[in-house]
Amino acid sequence: MELSSFVQNLMNGLAIGSVYAIFALGYTLVFSILGIINFAHGAVFTLGAYFTYTLVVGQFENNGLLKGINLFPDGSPFSGSPVMFGLATILGACAAGAVAVLIERLAFRPMRSRGADPLLALVSSLGVALVVVNLIQLLVGAEIYNFPSDAYGEVQPALSFKIGDKVVIIRTVQLIIFAVSLVMLAVLGYVIGRTKVGKALRAVAESPSTASLLGISVDRFILITFFLSGFLGGLAGTLVGTAFGVAGPYFGVVYGLKGLAVIVLGGLGSIPGAVAGGLVIGLAEAFVPAEYSAYKDAVAFALLFVILLVRPQGLLGRNLIQKV
Amino acid sequence: MNRTKLKVSAAAMLTLTACLAFAQKVENPVPIGVAVAQTSNTALLGQEQVIGAKFAEKFLNARGGINGTPFKLVFQDAAGDENSAINAFQNLITKENVVGIVGPTLSQQAFAADPIADRAKVPVVGPSNTAKGVPQIGNYIARVSAPVAVVAPNAIRTALRLDPKIKKVAVLYAQNDAFSVSETGTFQETAKAQGLTLSTVQKFQTTDTDFTTQVTAVLNAGVDLAIVSGLAADGGNLVKQLRQLGYKGLIIGGNGLNTSNMFPVCQKLCDGVIIAQAYSPSQPSAANQVFVKEYRAQYKKDPPQFAAQAYAGVQVFVEALRAVDRKKKLNTWDLDDLRTELNKQILLGKYNTPLGLISFDKDGEVVQKDFYVAQIKMKDAKTGSFVFLK
Amino acid sequence: MSDFLQSYGFLLVTLIQAGLLGLSLYFPLMAGQLSLASPGFYALGGYVAAIMLTNPAFAGLRDTLGNGIFPLTWLAAGLLCALAGVIVGVPALRLRGIYLALATIAFIEILRVVALNLSITGGAIGIFGIPQTFGFQDRWQYLLIFGPMLLLVLAFTYMLQKSRVGRAFRAIREDELAADAMGVPPTQYKVLAFVIGAVIAGIVGSMSAPFLNTWNAKQGTFDASIAILAFVLIGGSRSMWGPVVGGALLTAVPELLRFLQDWRLVINGLVLVVASLYLPQGIVGALGKLRRSPPPSRPPVAPTTDAKGGTP
Repeated sequence: MELSSFVQNLMNGLAIGSVYAIFALGYTLVFSILGIINFAHGAVFTLGAYFTYTLVVGQFENNGLLKGINLFPDGSPFSGSPVMFGLATILGACAAGAVAVLIERLAFRPMRSRGADPLLALVSSLGVALVVVNLIQLLVGAEIYNFPSDAYGEVQPALSFKIGDKVVIIRTVQLIIFAVSLVMLAVLGYVIGRTKVGKALRAVAESPSTASLLGISVDRFILITFFLSGFLGGLAGTLVGTAFGVAGPYFGVVYGLKGLAVIVLGGLGSIPGAVAGGLVIGLAEAFVPAEYSAYKDAVAFALLFVILLVRPQGLLGRNLIQKV
Repeated sequence: MNRTKLKVSAAAMLTLTACLAFAQKVENPVPIGVAVAQTSNTALLGQEQVIGAKFAEKFLNARGGINGTPFKLVFQDAAGDENSAINAFQNLITKENVVGIVGPTLSQQAFAADPIADRAKVPVVGPSNTAKGVPQIGNYIARVSAPVAVVAPNAIRTALRLDPKIKKVAVLYAQNDAFSVSETGTFQETAKAQGLTLSTVQKFQTTDTDFTTQVTAVLNAGVDLAIVSGLAADGGNLVKQLRQLGYKGLIIGGNGLNTSNMFPVCQKLCDGVIIAQAYSPSQPSAANQVFVKEYRAQYKKDPPQFAAQAYAGVQVFVEALRAVDRKKKLNTWDLDDLRTELNKQILLGKYNTPLGLISFDKDGEVVQKDFYVAQIKMKDAKTGSFVFLK
Repeated sequence: MSDFLQSYGFLLVTLIQAGLLGLSLYFPLMAGQLSLASPGFYALGGYVAAIMLTNPAFAGLRDTLGNGIFPLTWLAAGLLCALAGVIVGVPALRLRGIYLALATIAFIEILRVVALNLSITGGAIGIFGIPQTFGFQDRWQYLLIFGPMLLLVLAFTYMLQKSRVGRAFRAIREDELAADAMGVPPTQYKVLAFVIGAVIAGIVGSMSAPFLNTWNAKQGTFDASIAILAFVLIGGSRSMWGPVVGGALLTAVPELLRFLQDWRLVINGLVLVVASLYLPQGIVGALGKLRRSPPPSRPPVAPTTDAKGGTP
């Protein structure tokens, strides 16, 4: 492979991989604390994008119950400047976090208090996902929505540079996604590794009963975890939305499925693992030769299958935890 | 719980047997079934079909319905899967007593549900099934959606007229979409027949969002024409990423991209894409111009192809019913006989629809006179139009 | 009666079909293995039947056998899925719990992508115009093959649970190490349970291809895995009646909710949530509790008490 196409694939892979990573982090946080997989995470991801869109544009097309509504008749305060767009993104992610907390309250906590089969959480979260996705369609229709093209300010759509005589091009939005993801990962790493909240979270993840003996309110930290998870999911939703458009209520489903492969590859419940898994899958997909592009979707799962057989705890997982 | 359910079904059975005792008459208003994707990830297409069908209901009823007898549309959600489509068809046929069905949305669903209607001798008009073999499912199956073989070649010829220097072509298609798969076959054959070199063929999924792999391959191949067969979201993203990453040549979009749903995705970068159309708002017939005017008044944009085709599907039923009614009043017909007669009449008639003048061959395949090639002109980031070429 | 069957025949068959798929997942679960592979084998079985019934390569065989081709497709699908079950099961069953579940999901996704890419499976369009089993014209007639299939599988399950193999499955579910120590080789029994599930799902698939008239890569996807898991858990995972009841009910709900029109799937989702919250032991488990008052024993539910719940 020529150096230029290698670099091109590398950058493509890192950009999409960082989105996988940030999305999968939300999955893995919940898994590390509760030992369950929250299938509603894909729906929360979708919601994040819709929330931000609501703030930035404030009106919807003709096919939902919300048609004709205009939140900002004088133009949205969140449009026109990259800073305000950033603010809207954060608010959208917070709203997604709040929904995740709500989901925990309504669909997971009652189950825990009844001592139900933890597998039922899969079914219950699937039910939640069904409700969310179909509510979105009822409210705003199945249309494709997109953020204003100047959401990130007036930037060039793509940057290019030369390696030898070959040109390597990367979309600006991919660089932005990559940068935002790195920042988020750093912040999250700091929160979990260095702060009191993070220590408590890790204690709860290690052993809820011991944690509660130590005076940590387990339920509160579960709520915090869900908020963080929803926040990350929602943020990833907006980021992907700015790059590719919000392609209807089902737009999170593909990421939801691929996110599963990512967290297993990296090691269920491992935070650095989710990052590594995301990047590996992003890169693997980018390096699939063009003539086999039809098999690209199978790559993540082939990797997943192989890694499970060779190293079930995943790339960076600790010893196998048996929570489910 | 179980016992009440048993009781309910027993009651249902009794009523049904009671109905059976008398030959089933045609209801008033005359029920016509519509089974399209109102939910699932196919709803983007389905919701346009619902709008188109409802337009037809309102407009045609306002013009006297079926020689004075009104008709009503009965909607059953066919979602995006085969089971739901069959359930929707069953409901329409046996519970709603419809005279015929417009639907389903996807070709794969047609292959599952149409045989059910065909065996029950209920006429079906497919509003958007384009795969090869759909009208051949049975005598009772017809469609108003032209198969791709006739639409696609015009676009390539138009592109060659715009830029006669085109030599190398890249073809990209959504591999999990039945329509795109058959369309790309036609595109590839036509390109070869026109003496063009197929430099690369790239596949993707309608659920994909990131196309850097495919775009990189296209750029490396150094082509002057890229032909995309896909649907709105994926096709739009592909066009956008082709342009953002520096592709300068012409782009042809297949019929799946003939929708303004693509505009929010590629925004200003949609500009200049050549689209093969089975429906154009510029089609000059009076039937279409009234439809376009009313649609614009209500939705502030041009009607999409899926809406126009669903409209045409309903219109075919209504006009065929009028013809049957003229021979023998509808309320005197036995439902089963009417369905059979209606099916014959559908295949005989000529219909002046928003798609232009259409009729059917003996299989039920649509014979459509007008196809269009348009070029997208974007006014701003969100609004654009298909400008009729040629 | 015939009108009732005309209206609801398709739905009734899909209820049984769902119950059978639930049972196919119940077998590995009996041995404590959370496998979600059923939709994959279902898809595979369907393709086997669809190809045998339509591909020109089998034209000679079809002409010779006449209607005999249909049982042959069931047999072929069963055998092929047994083979595939061993190939996938032996490596995958070294995993447990959610890891096994995810490995089986990977299997399904890989299978789906492969099916989309092969020409023998018809790519995205799939295979259509599949001849009807024994020339059936109405959907309800498929009750005549799916019904006996359900009875057969239920009888088989019942006998298996009573047998040495069934006890071995349960021993592995309760404590794999202890079972191993007592001379029950866990790997063999786990693979056996997995393969039984695969064979059932495969045969159901081969029966379903003519029933659906067409077969494509959308049959048997990841969504279906979770749906089938829901059948088992909501029905009750500790009794063989659970998957049957759960499959039938959860398949019926979205159809019974058709009168809600646009709200149908929202409510369907709520039903799933509420059922998982309020029926932690599943429907059959809850019924069992009602019937058997105080003593908190946990033997498998006696089938006689629930026979009525089995076929609504």
